[in-house]
Amino acid sequence: MKIPKITIWRVITLVIFVAGAYATYLRFFHGLHASTNLSDQMPWGMWVGFGTLCGVGLSAGAFALSGAVYLLGMERYRPIVRAAVLIGFLGYVSVMFGYMYEIGLPWRFWHILVYWNHASMLFDVALCVMTYTTVLTLEFCPALIEKIPWQKPRELVLHWHHRVTVGVVMAGVLLSSMHQSFLGGLFLISPGKLYPLWYTHNIHALFFLSAIAAGLAMTIIALYLSMRSLDARIDYGILRELGRVVSLLLIVYVFFRGLDLVSHGGARYLFLPVRETGFFWLEVMLLAVIPFVLLQFNKVLNTPMYLYWTCCMVVAGFVINRLNVCITGFERSMNVFYTPKWSEISSTLLLVAGCVIAFRYAVLYLDILPRVVRVMKPTRWLANRGIAAQA
Amino acid sequence: MEKQFAMLIDVKQCIGCQSCEQACKTLHHYPVEHEAELSYTALTVVQDKADRHVRRVCMQCQDPACASACPVGALKKNSFGPVTYDADKCIGCRYCMVACPYSVPRYEWTKLVPFVKKCDMCVSRVRQGQQTACAEACPVAATTFGTRSEILAAAWKRLSDDPSYVQRIYGTDELGGTSVFYISDVEFEKIGFKPTAKDDAPLRTLTATAMGDAPTVVMVGGSILAGLYWITQRRREVALVEAQEREAKKEQEGR
Repeated sequence: MKIPKITIWRVITLVIFVAGAYATYLRFFHGLHASTNLSDQMPWGMWVGFGTLCGVGLSAGAFALSGAVYLLGMERYRPIVRAAVLIGFLGYVSVMFGYMYEIGLPWRFWHILVYWNHASMLFDVALCVMTYTTVLTLEFCPALIEKIPWQKPRELVLHWHHRVTVGVVMAGVLLSSMHQSFLGGLFLISPGKLYPLWYTHNIHALFFLSAIAAGLAMTIIALYLSMRSLDARIDYGILRELGRVVSLLLIVYVFFRGLDLVSHGGARYLFLPVRETGFFWLEVMLLAVIPFVLLQFNKVLNTPMYLYWTCCMVVAGFVINRLNVCITGFERSMNVFYTPKWSEISSTLLLVAGCVIAFRYAVLYLDILPRVVRVMKPTRWLANRGIAAQA
Repeated sequence: MEKQFAMLIDVKQCIGCQSCEQACKTLHHYPVEHEAELSYTALTVVQDKADRHVRRVCMQCQDPACASACPVGALKKNSFGPVTYDADKCIGCRYCMVACPYSVPRYEWTKLVPFVKKCDMCVSRVRQGQQTACAEACPVAATTFGTRSEILAAAWKRLSDDPSYVQRIYGTDELGGTSVFYISDVEFEKIGFKPTAKDDAPLRTLTATAMGDAPTVVMVGGSILAGLYWITQRRREVALVEAQEREAKKEQEGR
């Protein structure tokens, strides 16, 4: 038996898996108190703030790009549509898994499908997420169908799939624009509790805008990494153009965020010497202002590594924004200070690592992105020759 | 049941004896000891704020935010007053706790099969024609129970008989009104009451406006998308036909 080579990333992955497995055990066999720092004052913590809000938000590249290619005919993005859809699919699947951790009675998740409450924002979010996950599965499945070894059924399925694609994509665009904004809409119901820098009647529109920008940034990150370490070959011009789109979206976001703060009276909280102010500026700077400025320089746009780090900044700012809305914004009014327990962090990392690994193997074994086939290593080649010679 | 029931809590009269807490805990078979904050074994607590004893309990809103937030409709407002919780439906998402403007619902964090706990205004006792356990236990009539109109009339009477009261009943208009009213001789803001009288729309309306736009957005967005798709398809067809014509021309010229 061959022992796999020990590399730093393999060790990190192993640690994440072991810690995540133990956290999962704690969650399902010892309950929420043993595995989280949640309390009556902070009923939603990191699992909702990161797992759900960011998991769904960072998957927004899928609907944006599939809509652009299939509906708007922007053919230049076609080579990366599958990768974007794959990211979205993995994101939503991880959200589903994350929700099993989050809700107190996970074996009752199907209750949402049975006991409808139309007035509930969360009901709408859940229904949209479930439907859209189905849509993403449909959008992604050609990559798997292509691997059916029998020609006849394969072509039959692909033919039928091709005929419904446009409808599926259209449903996907509508569904996800709806629930990206509904995720923000969840917080419309807590005006007295959420800090005024984040509470606004337009929070759902702002969630929608920032999700598209961050979702595209996430797509750039994933593409850059698969070019660097999975031998994917993508025309860099596509990424550069996506970078331009992101910078455009960011300035639109900054404009509307500022307009909203001014019109809503949140502006007078901008410079108060309190914790929230710091978190607000950190979020706005990382999510929008600094990346927007950086993306104006051609040097940044033209250098893959600079573009990558700028996108990382957008995603980091996006994550801080969602955590601020879900956690920081509630701490003052609820008079509580929440930091996630290690098990909340490690179970989240487990899901993220699961997504990364699934993405890697999908790119390696399915036709997600065009790849360079590496020349066989000389030792292996010699060994094979030796066997061939013996035979 | 046509009649709507309500409770009145008189902050001035309360002597802080905690009889209501004990009665509530006895009724629910919880350990009888005073807790500082509401918890899943303390559905009501008497707290000391600004030299007054202020009793906290579910406000039984007329249009409850928790009921509108619950994705499975486990929480609901009953026509005769109480806001009740159906443990058989609950999935444990805890959105009710985020939504409640008074931060009343509690969760059984330490249990492996956790549920939400909140006061249900002794719904089974009220159905049998009895009053709530806390109102029955109160020795000084600081908590009284009755039909909504009786209770409101009694509250106004107390206010007009004694000018030292703040001339306002907390709960008549706040966030659409409640079924638990407070009267007090110190300003409500000083004893920890957050939503003020000017917030008189139920919180449900905030999400309802956002969701009400959704069908329009879907219809308009859907038609725009379909239109755009038609245009791109048409362009492609035209381009294809033009290219074929060009080819045909070339061939003819070649001949």
